[in-house]
Amino acid sequence: MTRSESAGRLARLVAVLGLAVGLLGLAIPAASASMTSGWLRLAHLSPNTPAVDVYLYSFGNPSARIVLRHVSYGTVSPYERVPTGEYTVAMRMPGAAATSKPVLSTTVSVASGDAYTVAGMGPAAGLRLQVFRDRLQTPRGKAMVRVIQASMHQTAVTVSAGKKVLGRNLRFTTVTHYQALRPGDLTVRAVGESEHGSGRFMLAANAIYTLVVLDDSGQLKVVCLMDSAGSKVMPAGSAQMGFGGTAPRPGVSPLPWLGAAAAGLLAAAGGALRLRRRRRPALHAR
Amino acid sequence: MRDDLTTRPGRHISPIRVVRRPVAAVVLACGLLAAGGSVAALAVASQHSVPGSHAAMPAGRPKVVPVPLGSQAPAPQPSARRAARPIRLIIPSIGVSTRLVRLGLTSAGTLQVPASAAVAGWYTGSSRPGAIGAAVIGGHIDSRLGPGVFYRLRLLHRGSRVYVRRAGGTLAVFRVTAMHAYLKSRFPTEAVYGPTPDAQLRLITCGGTFDYATGHYLGNVIAYAVLVHRGSR
Repeated sequence: MTRSESAGRLARLVAVLGLAVGLLGLAIPAASASMTSGWLRLAHLSPNTPAVDVYLYSFGNPSARIVLRHVSYGTVSPYERVPTGEYTVAMRMPGAAATSKPVLSTTVSVASGDAYTVAGMGPAAGLRLQVFRDRLQTPRGKAMVRVIQASMHQTAVTVSAGKKVLGRNLRFTTVTHYQALRPGDLTVRAVGESEHGSGRFMLAANAIYTLVVLDDSGQLKVVCLMDSAGSKVMPAGSAQMGFGGTAPRPGVSPLPWLGAAAAGLLAAAGGALRLRRRRRPALHAR
Repeated sequence: MRDDLTTRPGRHISPIRVVRRPVAAVVLACGLLAAGGSVAALAVASQHSVPGSHAAMPAGRPKVVPVPLGSQAPAPQPSARRAARPIRLIIPSIGVSTRLVRLGLTSAGTLQVPASAAVAGWYTGSSRPGAIGAAVIGGHIDSRLGPGVFYRLRLLHRGSRVYVRRAGGTLAVFRVTAMHAYLKSRFPTEAVYGPTPDAQLRLITCGGTFDYATGHYLGNVIAYAVLVHRGSR
């Protein structure tokens, strides 16, 4: 190994160690980017329940975090990013005072990095708030789809996407599991005993959807909600976003200079030794 | 006196010795000179090799970029309408105001990078800023000659505001929630490009040590941000 090679190696080692130390303080597992929060969205899926006001409270806080006014059948709110913890969802008649007793309420526990839909479900007489956990991952390159059957007119509805049956004879308030589909244009058909309906949707890769079957004056209506979306194609690896113009120059290796200094000292020591050796015998002789 | 001065062994000075003494003195002097010189040279060299530590910013302040005005994008509806195309990125706190070029994928399947270090680019395979999902914007930390558009990206912190002007003039306003640095070998593909239920933003640049052997930085610095809309906290 030549000197410059070993110097280069040392420089590289120092560089790598420096980076490792520098990154240690910052490198945190990817998931922690959303570690202390989750998501909630609110939905009204009870056909014969009139519009309501929906309140979201974080546990123990009497002032509402969100208030959605005049939420009618078929409405689904955007996701709200919330800190992890316990929440209460309450429904009141439209315009009712915020201090009045809610018609209905439920609690939901939000775990870190999880998403939930809280939906008013069932007939008005038996209205309840139901909590669904929403999926946030897809198999690479696939679209994920689930169905919520929110039609009261039809007791059993079969929902299919192309030739694939997503749910057979789904009863009112049933929710299917997510299923993986090839992304692209998709025609969804919902068929009940006497009514049917369909919708045409564009499903993206790495995205997650909820199809909702709704009553719609004499027919079924299919709505496609986007739960989550990722990049359609995930780029491979990292990104090369720099050319080094502001990076510190590689440090001049101290090795050659230290070597020279050592050699110099050695030479000096040798010279000094010689001088003394010559002198000593002369002193003895005196 | 039998003891002649000249017969004393110590007194006998051979011609060789006469020469050796000055040589030894010269060697001593030269050695000391060389040692001292080397140490001095090392001190000078090491001073020049670190022109300010890596954390320090070189001369020049960020240019003053005002907070942009415009109608603010609302939270994305789950019955997704397409958001407008992003055209400009504005980060007042670090003096960034740049048009956005479009970035696709290379033949190797990696993220394209802007041809110029002076502009940032939006990855067209990611969500549009303000739509459901994470919009991904990349920019160079530097060119071969000096700072690039994302030179100061690492100075962003939780709460920093990031603005994306979209075709039609609306603004998607984001709030930084986390800053992370990763070794490129540990790039968090899922966290950057994976599905999210709300509108988010990722700003990517390089960081860490520059490897002169490969001509690349060894790390990536990524800012994670979420959409700020009326009523959001």
